[in-house]
Amino acid sequence: MTTSNDGGGDVRLTGISKTYGSFTAVHPLDLTVPQGSFFALLGASGCGKTTTLRMIAGLEEPSGGSVHLGDQEVTHLPPYKRPVNTVFQSYALFPHLDIFENVAFGLRRRGIKSVKKQVESMLELVQLGEQARKKPHQLSGGQQQRVAVARALINHPKVLLLDEPLGALDLKLRRQMQLELKRIQTEVGITFVHVTHDQEEAMTMADTVAVMNAGRVEQLGSPSDLYENPTTTFVANFLGTSNLIEAEVDTRSGEDIVLRAGGGKLVLPGSRCSAPTTAGGKVLVGVRPEKISLAHADEAGAVPEGRNRITGRIADSSFIGVSTQYVIDSPVCPEFEVYAQNIDRDARLVPGAEVVLHWNPAHTFGLDAAQAIDAGTGADEAAA
Amino acid sequence: MPFVNWLKRHLVVIAGLVTLGYLLLPNIVVTVFSFNKPKGRFNYAWQQFSLDAWKDPCGVADMCGSLSLSLQIAFWATLGATALGTMIAFALVRYRFRARGAVNSMIFLPMAMPEVVMAASLLTLFLNMGAQLGFWTILIAHIMFCLSFVVVAVKARVMSMDPRLEQAAQDLYAGPAQTFLRVTLPIAAPGIAAGALLSFALSFDDFIITNFNAGSTVTFPMFVWGSAQRGTPVQINVIGTAMFLVAVLFVLASMLITHRRTKQKA
Repeated sequence: MTTSNDGGGDVRLTGISKTYGSFTAVHPLDLTVPQGSFFALLGASGCGKTTTLRMIAGLEEPSGGSVHLGDQEVTHLPPYKRPVNTVFQSYALFPHLDIFENVAFGLRRRGIKSVKKQVESMLELVQLGEQARKKPHQLSGGQQQRVAVARALINHPKVLLLDEPLGALDLKLRRQMQLELKRIQTEVGITFVHVTHDQEEAMTMADTVAVMNAGRVEQLGSPSDLYENPTTTFVANFLGTSNLIEAEVDTRSGEDIVLRAGGGKLVLPGSRCSAPTTAGGKVLVGVRPEKISLAHADEAGAVPEGRNRITGRIADSSFIGVSTQYVIDSPVCPEFEVYAQNIDRDARLVPGAEVVLHWNPAHTFGLDAAQAIDAGTGADEAAA
Repeated sequence: MPFVNWLKRHLVVIAGLVTLGYLLLPNIVVTVFSFNKPKGRFNYAWQQFSLDAWKDPCGVADMCGSLSLSLQIAFWATLGATALGTMIAFALVRYRFRARGAVNSMIFLPMAMPEVVMAASLLTLFLNMGAQLGFWTILIAHIMFCLSFVVVAVKARVMSMDPRLEQAAQDLYAGPAQTFLRVTLPIAAPGIAAGALLSFALSFDDFIITNFNAGSTVTFPMFVWGSAQRGTPVQINVIGTAMFLVAVLFVLASMLITHRRTKQKA
């Protein structure tokens, strides 16, 4: 693959926005997708991620800002003049053409006469060589999806745009196609911009994820970065599960911030706090459920020094094979979630038992308390 | 009760055959009587088998002239109505404009209005405009009443079409003209074809509107009507049978093509 130094496959969005009447679908947005990367736009439906994608494709005219592909400005170019191709949600295969002609469509429109070899090798890449003469409706969902990818990739676009391409597939096939798409991306080295509402999908496939909410990018980073160190409650709740506790800043000791929550003290590394920390100010303290250890109240003395600890009572526990998920009723947080690996289970840890939760302060993150604590949870997803 | 059981099991088939018979009986009568050798001028009672009329289909004065006129009018009316109707259908589905709702329901008016009313008002219009009644007035009238049927047929097809298909075509380097020719038109084609066939059939056998607006021109349905007063030549049955056979051939051909296609794919 040619990796030119002119940033050939970079996508640069500068202050791009989209409004429909009085509704703002995308607020002015700056985004750079580096050449050759697998980039995911993640968010609930209606968050502006598809609109952003369509503005890159040229299917939506931006209300403001500009789109660059490499050094070329394409903001006002029609879609058929842009070196990008799209894999549409529900694929949009041409029903009146067979698979071969569907895949050859882009080549033919650019006046390329001998398409046979290219189409055949592309169909091989997506393992559909046998199906060339079938019509789209004769293929399964997964096969149609692969045709849609082949039809786009054969044109060697600078950027491949994927609009929820796996949304219509069942879970097992989706997992399979995730790996397949990742393999193809590595093989062809083209920049992929992938729109999805499935956080697991975004995390498994993408190098970089931009989490969008209400027309804005909430946070951008590698999947592990977003997961380990979310900077907003939306990201904390939308990507996996977070326990959020309201706390008050007590003192700073060196790099660490000491907080008061429900009579106890919690320590938070200053570098992992995205909120202003003035003494007496409020902060939301977060910790992921799998980072927490659970000890019976009788063993409280055995918890090592220097760990964040809170007390509570087990309200509910469910065994799900690899782990057990506990819901803890605690004075600082009514539904504290803890996932414990099923090794050396303590038989006393049943609903009703008094427990001590403790974790390494390095796994704590701090968020601005001015935000809604339940942003990005299932509750507002269902409303979207 | 073996008979009742047999009846129960075959009820659907029996009902189907009876319905088919009901629909086809007139055609059968027309066909049978095209081989008649009537005594006198009326072909209403079976006399004896004869091929005379089939050997000389144009043997009746002026009949083939009117037939050819009807075919020409049907051809041009189909062309005009299909082109205009397709454009109207696309406009109604794709674009939001003022009075779109009104246009949408007005399109149905010619279908609902009694033909004789339309015929009379058209005649008034033509006379007031000082138009010479004949081929052109018939053609204009036919395009008018065929239009609604084309719009309805094409609209249904365009409405069920995924707009993303055209976006996909544009995304794959097809400009507006290419997108229309390569994607939009082929997908809308079945609806357009249905509209065209309907137009042809409606125009070819229209009597009421044509009769009002034809002046001294005589189309085939007018000829049949006129001759029915004075005696019906067997050739009318020959033409009727031939038209029926052509239609049957069309249906068989299209069935054969679809059958072949599905077989190829399997």
